[in-house]
Amino acid sequence: MMSLSDTDDLIHGLARQAGTRRFPSAGAFRLALIVATVAALCLAVVGVLLLDGVRPDFAAAASRAPFVYKVVCMLALGLGGLVMASRAALPGSGRVTALALVPAVALLVFRAATDRSGLSLMGNSDVSPFGCVVTILAVSLPPLVLLLGVMRAGAPTRPALAGAIIGMLSGALGAGAYALACTNDAGLFVALWYSLAVLTMAALGAVIGRRALAW
Amino acid sequence: MDPRDELWANAMRAERRGDGVAYEQLLRDIALVLRRLVRARLARAGLSVHETEDVVQEILIGLHAKRHTWDETRPFLPWLFAITRYKFIDAARRLRREMSNRVEITMDELAATLEASADDSDRSMLDLDRHLAILPQGQQRVVRALALDGATVRATAEKLHTSEGVVRVLYHRALRRLTDRARSDNLGSPAGRP
Repeated sequence: MMSLSDTDDLIHGLARQAGTRRFPSAGAFRLALIVATVAALCLAVVGVLLLDGVRPDFAAAASRAPFVYKVVCMLALGLGGLVMASRAALPGSGRVTALALVPAVALLVFRAATDRSGLSLMGNSDVSPFGCVVTILAVSLPPLVLLLGVMRAGAPTRPALAGAIIGMLSGALGAGAYALACTNDAGLFVALWYSLAVLTMAALGAVIGRRALAW
Repeated sequence: MDPRDELWANAMRAERRGDGVAYEQLLRDIALVLRRLVRARLARAGLSVHETEDVVQEILIGLHAKRHTWDETRPFLPWLFAITRYKFIDAARRLRREMSNRVEITMDELAATLEASADDSDRSMLDLDRHLAILPQGQQRVVRALALDGATVRATAEKLHTSEGVVRVLYHRALRRLTDRARSDNLGSPAGRP
């Protein structure tokens, strides 16, 4: 058992470290998280280029609605995840609420509901939804590792939730990058299979975060 | 808002400028509050209040390690609360696990107890000898005479060629030593496990 004087010694020792720390402030941590998210997106893009390369009709498709929709949707999801991650990492900085995801989810649902393209839910014949999900998961893993690393410098008071948020953010970045290669333009396809990949990443993040983000 | 919020927030800002004195005072103030809070919560959770100081220290260390995550533009107390709550839950989980380890009955122990139940009295005398062995000779003799043989203080004093006062002092010292030992046995490694 430790005594009061132990605690005094401990406090004295801690106080001698005044003014030293890894991050100078909460603001610096937020900035680091943003920079890491951009870096994670680059990692995901590199992953997609290495695994699949861009879609054959990229030049033509890049300016059309389906492609723009996929990218915007996933980046909106990533942005919401970034806001949530920042709050989850900094205690007392505001409630961690899924409201930040409303724009992205609304966009997904709207696009899926108004899709008149008649394209198949199961995608084109040569690309199975399964392969699409697996690729998104694969390119989302490096972002997950990077962002979990940054998150450890924060103080997440709910490690599993923080891990799930980071997983979702990584999944959104991976899915956004995968849009470069994906030839399936159906609104429902994206709403279903991209979401499935992102949710899988969130679950994986929660499992890892429970341990990795505890402090 | 609690006036302490501004006071403690200022101390946190001073710490960022490298002011160790203000930070030390802040940690002392927080430790005082934590001590009361943790003791009450441990008692309510059915956990040992002997662990209070350990838990307070864990919270202080956590607070120190994560102090950069407090946003200067926001109130300090909600941050402190979140850190405290997290570290307390963490510590409570650990204590609960330790407690269940300690009270766990293993099959081996059950078997050993069944075997021993035949010669129970011999065994408890052996245990007693083992416990008394930690005492100095003088204290051992006094405990044997008073507690085991049921002799009076005067008879014991005569037998050991000393005064009644000395017998009493030796007896109390022996008891304190035995209870201290028993407590540290209980708090230390999960007792009685192979």
